[in-house]
Amino acid sequence: MDNWRKWLVAATAGVALAGCGDGGETSPDGAQGAERDQTAQASPNQEQDQERRAARSDKETNAKADGPVRPPRDPFPSTYEPYPGETTLIANATVLTGDGVRIDGGAVLIQDGRIAAVGEDITAPDGARVIDAEGKWVTPGIIDIHSHLGDYPSPSTQSTSDGNEITNPNTADVWAEHSVWPQDAGFTRALAGGVTSLQVLPGSANLFGGRSAILKNVPSRTVQGMKFPGAPYGLKMACGENPKRVYGDKGGPGTRMGNFSGYRRAWIEAEAYQKKWEDYWSAYEEWDPDGDEDRPEAPARDLKLETLAGVLDGEILVNMHCYRADEMVLVLDMAEEFGYKVTTFHHAIEAYKIADYLAQENVCAAVWADWWGFKLEAYDTVPENAALVHAQDGGCAIIHSDSALGIQRLNQEAAKAMASGRRMGMDLPEETVIGWLTANPAEAMGILDQTGTLEAGKMADVVVWSGNPFSVYTQAEHVFIDGALLYDRDDPARSPRMDFEIGQAGNDATGGAGQ
Amino acid sequence: MKKMIKKLTIGAGLAACLVASSAFAQEATAIMNARVLTAAGDVIENGDVIIRDGQIAQVGADLSAPQGATVIDGAGKVVTPGLFAPFTTIGLEEIGLDAEANDAGPDRASNFPLGAALNAADAIRPASSLIPINRAGGVTRAVTAPAPGASLFGGAAAVIDLSGETNSITRRAVAQVLVLGYSGASRAGDTRMGAWAILRETLDQARRYNSDPEAFLRTGDATRYRAADLRALAPVLAGEMPLLVSINGESDIRNLIRLKNEYGLRVIILGGSEAWKAADALGAANIPVILNPTANLPSQFEDLGATLRNAALLDEAGVAIAFYGTESGSHNISAVTQLAGNAVANGLDYDTAIAALTRNPAEMFGVGDEFGTIAPGRAADIVVWSGDPLEVTSAPEAVFIAGVRQDLENRQSALRERYRDLSRGDLPIAYRGGAPDPD
Repeated sequence: MDNWRKWLVAATAGVALAGCGDGGETSPDGAQGAERDQTAQASPNQEQDQERRAARSDKETNAKADGPVRPPRDPFPSTYEPYPGETTLIANATVLTGDGVRIDGGAVLIQDGRIAAVGEDITAPDGARVIDAEGKWVTPGIIDIHSHLGDYPSPSTQSTSDGNEITNPNTADVWAEHSVWPQDAGFTRALAGGVTSLQVLPGSANLFGGRSAILKNVPSRTVQGMKFPGAPYGLKMACGENPKRVYGDKGGPGTRMGNFSGYRRAWIEAEAYQKKWEDYWSAYEEWDPDGDEDRPEAPARDLKLETLAGVLDGEILVNMHCYRADEMVLVLDMAEEFGYKVTTFHHAIEAYKIADYLAQENVCAAVWADWWGFKLEAYDTVPENAALVHAQDGGCAIIHSDSALGIQRLNQEAAKAMASGRRMGMDLPEETVIGWLTANPAEAMGILDQTGTLEAGKMADVVVWSGNPFSVYTQAEHVFIDGALLYDRDDPARSPRMDFEIGQAGNDATGGAGQ
Repeated sequence: MKKMIKKLTIGAGLAACLVASSAFAQEATAIMNARVLTAAGDVIENGDVIIRDGQIAQVGADLSAPQGATVIDGAGKVVTPGLFAPFTTIGLEEIGLDAEANDAGPDRASNFPLGAALNAADAIRPASSLIPINRAGGVTRAVTAPAPGASLFGGAAAVIDLSGETNSITRRAVAQVLVLGYSGASRAGDTRMGAWAILRETLDQARRYNSDPEAFLRTGDATRYRAADLRALAPVLAGEMPLLVSINGESDIRNLIRLKNEYGLRVIILGGSEAWKAADALGAANIPVILNPTANLPSQFEDLGATLRNAALLDEAGVAIAFYGTESGSHNISAVTQLAGNAVANGLDYDTAIAALTRNPAEMFGVGDEFGTIAPGRAADIVVWSGDPLEVTSAPEAVFIAGVRQDLENRQSALRERYRDLSRGDLPIAYRGGAPDPD
């Protein structure tokens, strides 16, 4: 197991160092290297650092210098770089930090792409731009843990339907990023709704749908240019009706018990695959290049099992589409059986029925405010679902969209869920509920150390709202991503327009993020 | 095993459950001192509404509650006409994906032969759980419409009330559903040319049939058309019943205006993502539009002009509008207030937004003289809101349908009460709630 973790981490470091995806790094401090690289994104000296470290790595070579085979962990590495931003002080605002704090008359200072300070009395540095946010509210950028932007883009035609690899109940080998069309106009609309990061998931037809892509909502020519630096991969899995319906007459699974058989058989294979590689690495380590034995032969790579083994090792986070309470608890036992963790149940319509189990197992429930009934497993929702999940000690509620329209107003969806909870007598202040859209999804996506709250040192992913974000009339006025002002409701030049939309006849009056 | 519930106040005050009676309330009800949005042109601050015999008896300021009337203190509350949902499948659809529980329309792949002849009223189930859930959200009446299968025509839409009573059909047939645009083309050889040709031919044959059915049935054309379909189009051709036309692109909409004028039809547009581009022509042709005001994506080529400003631009051109959502369908009709709020946030006049939820759809479907406004003589479909009805944090506190105060409890509130405390207790959770009231 340790070996497995090491190669996963080391391979990342290798990619980051060499930038060529060969995964050749063997440095024992690979883990630290990876962390350094994640936080060094904005460093102007990054290239020099890389050269220095690559040179050091060369010196450490020995007889086994080329090392054992280690499948590259990050063959499509992020090339995202923050855009330039001004030093900006947002002053006199109602600030919701995302981690439960509200500061009236508060201020947020953005400097060098990072949040430099959050508080009541912050003096603007010389030359800083000052936004007088009197009457306005400031929150961390909104994060949608469940989106299909890019893989079900607009326009929605057969040519662009790339979200669901409905060819096998186990497609753990597909990666959402290979379907994401960066020109999806939906990204721009989401930006106007304050969304700064999102997880794009494969669809839910399959037991194992494939890997997710965690993106910064910054337009780019390539998906690599949007990938959130250092974010882990997620794995999409699905419970219940969808796999049954899709595969019932195509060789199965055709029942819920068939679903579980399919999951467990795959995990057993993944364990064997994991062991095969561990044995190989051990053999390699013991191998004496000057001795009689041949160089140990690496096992054949299997993309499905690589992903599943990554889950067993805790490197890839499980995002499981699961509506029914009883199924979610069965899944928790299965995760126990194979020693992995479910990070979040998505569309967890019945989460409120087992909110105690979820809190105890530290699993988040990502839910809609009020969608229901489109299928039988979605019949039992209550508008208080999120609030009841949150009410448990340690409960983790997330409001997600699963929709190119819903992602544009997740703040309103959270407002509905908040109001429903309040009506049943719960104390749910805005500073708590904003966490359902910021800190909680960030934590569940493995990026809370970088974004999701307004804390000094974090990425300056910040939204200035025209008022209380839990009002239907409130709109995002300024959206900063890594300190760059990428959307300004009053400035058409600060509004992205995707290739598909420009130059279309008669569209001059609209276009852009706020269309 | 007992779990601590951290932030939950157990036993928080639940509004008393009032059960609707099946007959009209005999006693008067007076809602006093509320902000009354009549949707008839007036906003009355500190207004009073007197309900008697199922109708609105009086509305105004400084009225006196009649002797013996049930008085509702409306201070701080907002009163509106009940929401009139202009396009739903409520009563037809319990579960979208379960064929056994979805009667919204024929399976398209089945090539079921009839279209216009279908009537939503034949399949409406007033006991549907969607009805009390949406009633609790302030919906008092709804157009429930069949979804077209293989035919361009879906059949006749009905108006129902959301009392859940067996006699809840208000009108059996208020509009004929027609699908055009790409969705229509996909039913006609995958080309718009096919859809328009079939539509014109069908209208022409219906005209021939309805002018002399016996003669028509002797012709060869009688084998290609179902008499029931042609018969159902008679009120459409007579200009008595509107066509409710699903259509989005500007060029399609302009074609539809020409067709309306040529055949002397009444038309209501459903969708209309590019309707703002033809707003002046629609206003001149007196064609209302039922739109989703949040639809701002170029979902199809016919939607390239989709914008959040659609509602405001149509209103400015004098086009009557109403709202429908597409996201969670008929299960969530009451979220239409959120759509209206978003339209206002994007420039729509507030009073128009209220009318778009109430008066406008009632008028579009020919029942505006009975429903959709708070005015003497109108049916007392009334909602008392906790605050601004367009605000996502507001909720109905009292709902009246034809003067009868409605039960706001429903399947969702029952589930919530059952599971709000997850401690094990002395009996399984299945024993909580649901037992008949011993009284």
